[in-house]
Amino acid sequence: MSKLSFRARALDAAKPLPIYRNKDLPDLTDCVSINRAVPQMPTGMEKEEESEHHLQRAISAQQVFREKKESMVIPVPEAESNITYYDRLYKGEFRIPKQLIHIQPLGLDNELPDYDMDSEDETLLNRLNRKMELKPVQFETMMDRLEKASTNQLVTLQEAKLLLNEDDYLLKSVYDYWVRKRKNCRGPSLIPQIKQEKRDGSTNNDAYVAFRRRTEKMQTRKNRKNDEVSYEKMLKLRREFSRTMSILEMIKKREKSKRELLHLTLEVFEKRYQIGDFSGEILNEVTVPLAEKTIYPAPISLPMSNRHKAESKIKSHKPVPKHLHPFTVKPEPHFDFVHSHKKYNKRPKLDTFRQPVRPERQQTINKADIKQYDFHSSGEEDYPLSPASEPDEENDPDGIFAFRRKAGCSYHAPLVDQSCTPHWQQTGQDRLWQRNCLTALSVPRRCIAVARGRVGRGGRVVLDRTSSDLDRALRHLDPDMFYPSADSIVPDLPVHTNTNSHNSKSSPQRSLTQLLSDIQACRWKFFRPRPLQENSRGEDKKGTPQVEKGGAAPLSSSVSGGFTEEQFHSHQQQLVQMHKQLQQQELQQNSTAPELHTHVPNAVSSDCMSKTLDSASAHFAASAVVNTPNNENRPQIASVNGVLPNSGSFRQAKLNRSGGGGESGSLVRMTNSSNPQLAVPQSLPHGHGHLSTVSAVSPAHTHHSARLCAPSPSALKLASVASSLDRVPKVTPTSAIDIARENHEPERLALNGLSETTVAMEVT
Amino acid sequence: MADHSVEITEGCRLPVLRKNQENEDEWPLAEILSVRDTPGKKLYYVHYIDFNKRLDEWVTPDRLDMKKLQFPKKEAKTPMKNGLPGSRPSSPEREVKKSLDLHVQSASAPSRGKTLPTPKRKAESVSLATQVTAATPVPSLPSSAEASQASVYPAMRDTSFSIKSRDEHEPLTSLTTNGTTSIQRHLIPPQPGRKRKSCGGTDEMVKMFQNNSPRCSTIYLLPGEDSQDSSDGIPSAPRMTGSLVSDRSHDDIVTRMKNIDCIELGRHRLKPWYFSPYPQELTSLPILYLCEFCLKYLKSLKCLQRHLTKCNLRHPPGNEIYRKGTISFFEIDGRKNKAYSQNLCLLAKCFLDHKTLYYDTDPFLFYVMTEYDSKGFHIVGYFSKEKESTEDYNVACILTLPPYQRRGYGKLLIEFSYELSKVEGKTGTPEKPLSDLGLLSYRSYWSQTILEILMDLKSENGERPQITINEISEITSVKKEDVISTLQYLNLINYYKGQYILTLSEDIVDGHERAMQKRHLRIDPKCLHFTPKDWSKRGKW
Repeated sequence: MSKLSFRARALDAAKPLPIYRNKDLPDLTDCVSINRAVPQMPTGMEKEEESEHHLQRAISAQQVFREKKESMVIPVPEAESNITYYDRLYKGEFRIPKQLIHIQPLGLDNELPDYDMDSEDETLLNRLNRKMELKPVQFETMMDRLEKASTNQLVTLQEAKLLLNEDDYLLKSVYDYWVRKRKNCRGPSLIPQIKQEKRDGSTNNDAYVAFRRRTEKMQTRKNRKNDEVSYEKMLKLRREFSRTMSILEMIKKREKSKRELLHLTLEVFEKRYQIGDFSGEILNEVTVPLAEKTIYPAPISLPMSNRHKAESKIKSHKPVPKHLHPFTVKPEPHFDFVHSHKKYNKRPKLDTFRQPVRPERQQTINKADIKQYDFHSSGEEDYPLSPASEPDEENDPDGIFAFRRKAGCSYHAPLVDQSCTPHWQQTGQDRLWQRNCLTALSVPRRCIAVARGRVGRGGRVVLDRTSSDLDRALRHLDPDMFYPSADSIVPDLPVHTNTNSHNSKSSPQRSLTQLLSDIQACRWKFFRPRPLQENSRGEDKKGTPQVEKGGAAPLSSSVSGGFTEEQFHSHQQQLVQMHKQLQQQELQQNSTAPELHTHVPNAVSSDCMSKTLDSASAHFAASAVVNTPNNENRPQIASVNGVLPNSGSFRQAKLNRSGGGGESGSLVRMTNSSNPQLAVPQSLPHGHGHLSTVSAVSPAHTHHSARLCAPSPSALKLASVASSLDRVPKVTPTSAIDIARENHEPERLALNGLSETTVAMEVT
Repeated sequence: MADHSVEITEGCRLPVLRKNQENEDEWPLAEILSVRDTPGKKLYYVHYIDFNKRLDEWVTPDRLDMKKLQFPKKEAKTPMKNGLPGSRPSSPEREVKKSLDLHVQSASAPSRGKTLPTPKRKAESVSLATQVTAATPVPSLPSSAEASQASVYPAMRDTSFSIKSRDEHEPLTSLTTNGTTSIQRHLIPPQPGRKRKSCGGTDEMVKMFQNNSPRCSTIYLLPGEDSQDSSDGIPSAPRMTGSLVSDRSHDDIVTRMKNIDCIELGRHRLKPWYFSPYPQELTSLPILYLCEFCLKYLKSLKCLQRHLTKCNLRHPPGNEIYRKGTISFFEIDGRKNKAYSQNLCLLAKCFLDHKTLYYDTDPFLFYVMTEYDSKGFHIVGYFSKEKESTEDYNVACILTLPPYQRRGYGKLLIEFSYELSKVEGKTGTPEKPLSDLGLLSYRSYWSQTILEILMDLKSENGERPQITINEISEITSVKKEDVISTLQYLNLINYYKGQYILTLSEDIVDGHERAMQKRHLRIDPKCLHFTPKDWSKRGKW
């Protein structure tokens, strides 16, 4: 044989192999050595086991004998097949069907219990069977249900009752038995089960955990490495989309319930109107038990828009709304957000100062009352005790320059109604008096002719003087001469309402006496600051010149006084009448509390007054301009003011103002309680009552409350609606509802727009 | 020299008395796997070295030959505690022997047999590695060639994988606690020709991972798993295809010991051979009762009795796809009939060492062979089959229950599996690794099948009959490799006058004829009612 033939070609599976019998090839032995050229195939066994003694022996035996020998087989553990009770155990016979057996895919599920009774159970069953009939299957079903209903924790008896729906005695005995058995049970369940995998992977190496679920293998193309990445991205995207879906779903739900709430509120409102619950007493009675539970101990929240949610949270999480009072005299300018933290820090101390004074319960109810009409535009909650969180800078592209609402400030829509008032067409004297009023200064004590007040920056009150042909005469007027009696009682009685210009549409040229009489008859407005005789510190500040605006002479108002620019409407008769009542009340009030310099009497009078108010006047009230506090005169007291005002007094003041406006449209001297501590207890109940009165008067109240929450879109809308309705003598409740509904729409839009930022809602 | 005061601990080795098949006393060396302290006496769970695990048993102290007690190697103890197979059946002694058999330089054997002091382990193992590399005639152990390959390889993968792959290639330098284990493994020298193929390149590497073929299992999978073990203790899940594990690195002492004493199934009482993850609370029972038809496990005869009042099954809960005489086959979908499939797997695990029950049964079909009598269709054996096999497996696990063994049922099961493949028009092979009994059964089946064909070949027009390996494979549906290995095993392939020929010797022919006479159980293809499904077109298995 040549050497070449040793290098046998690889075995070609496609090449025919001739078959020989050994006897045909006597010279085959010569070629045997070449056999090695064919690579040995692996056995397919584990190496370690391949060499096992018995196998090797069996293999060699087979190769030698070509046949299995009994002694050469691989020994295995024995098995017996002589179970004697087999026939008793497996009863009955099974006839072989002619056809091949074909099972129905869903035919096997019968409702038989997985639990199988053991001999211990049998004893119990026998005992129970003495008293009642209980079938084994019935018992097994009970055990089965109990077992399957309990996970790590056992089913309680109550749950068991629901689960089993059996006779009480039976249930109790089986339940007790089960609990006992379960506790003695070594396994995790009385129905032995294969150990399940745990998702955390802790059971990955547990030998007793079997049949783990296969994680789905991604079916992606082999050659694209990034396919898996993009697949994962798609998965993630899908997850996020579904999350978005659920968020939107939840928003939808929330909006629906909000609409529901609105309708319910309106309904309540109408009902109250119908039964004449103007003071809110009935409502209170009804809601007190409820309120205890449901009302947030949050301040009367002047609804903030979404954007300022964070800030609103800061401000509102405490029941004491330091910044709530619009008339709070603050050392800082109004839009000072930089200092908000500082202010915030101060609060705890202030709270302690304040809290004892406040009648807690009244407050709550009051809040409830008001809260009822708050429809937040985005559904942000006043989290009752949520910790103060810093304003989220990232959500605020304008940074520190962003407009931020201040808690307690009410932001009102621009007064459009002024321009469309019918009085605009008036000319001459009437017009002059329409827009201006006779103004007096306390120091020096004299009249400064006709002027018009407005609020400047920082809440300063600026008086714009208007020249008229009466100037000369008026200058010599004694400010006190109008109220000779007032001097003796309260020298600084602030409010003098005028009579209506409708009535006084007389000759354009009026004499001074006529004028005086007009004023005295309260047909014309007269503003006179309150002399600060009790407050010496006020004098210090007095000299500070006011920022002058317009061409008018600068007038430093040494006391804080608000102008309310109002317009007069109709119903003058009633109003005049009311005004008279009011004055009486004032006098009474002042005589009882001489030190009180507030405008509290208004509140006192509110009850009777309110009865006469109709919707139009309420409209008027709603559209009244709110003056911001004037604070420059008394820093000391300002701080006191800053500390003390509570929502009650705020409400009161506000309503006073609007009430006053509604009455006469004349100059109202706004509340500036120099001693609010005294004012509060007195004014609070009335303030509250007052508010509810106004709100009860007509649906126009909705406008009013909308005004309180001013720049929210709904409020803006409401404001314009209100102004457009100014001429409507009577607003029917239905129209108000319409408005309210209509009003709801922009809210929702706003909400939807903002929903993308509602991160907090992500529950998943 | 050792007296009874010496405590025998896990890991000790000593001769243990056992009876062989001829009922003669033998004292094979055994390893103590566990000690049970029962009142009155101690029991020892012993594994007879070089015997299959199925013969492991609890023995009384009087069967131990204390005089020849060997204490466990220090290294062996750590793996024991870790549950790592430091003292697996692949005991050092035997590996020494094997190494010698396989021409590994004997120098490596003693060094490995000795204890590697723990602190120096790494250094020693590295030196050992080089030693082995130098000594082994096969250039397959971590060598410079592979190391350089490893340096290229990681760039194509993410970091974690690159670490892994590095471990694969340089297993000996990345030893951790199981260092000795991997040394042991790597001392098993691969067979010639095998290595080169598996190191072919990245693609093949990856394939090797998925592919649990015997050639790569011992070499690559094991170190791969090792590295996973050591990677921050994050256990990794085994591959998701197939039903058998060749990698036993996850084995802990729990799975090395039988946990069920006895199973009662129908008329039979079976002594399990291996561990099976039946609910743990049932393992302490003297007898575990199984419903013969639904295979539900029950803790007592009473429970079984109760169960039988509710269980109406008298046959496996699947469609009968074959019936001839009393023999029937039922097809069960592992996804649709989970309860039965799981019960079947649990039972089968008692007799299949390498079967894994790690994952669910969804991707498998189960073909249960039954024998009918008046009580119903009694399970005889079964085989499982992947619905879709990427590696031409037509059988995943195959088992004849012990009472039916050595009566031709195994071959019947195998025959049936190939009949299914014939219907599918594919060739197939059983999933690896094979067990000893599996190997014998398959070899026997293959031999008989191939010889049947060869003997039946008639010469046409005076020419010598001839056949290609491919033709044999097509006719029988036996995979080509199995045909070749059988031909080799039977020593039929010879090189004669410049070409390969098949030669049939007298004793082969005689042996075959005798065997075929005994083989009366055959599958009749006409009785098979089977239409293969294309599982790949379904969304799920």
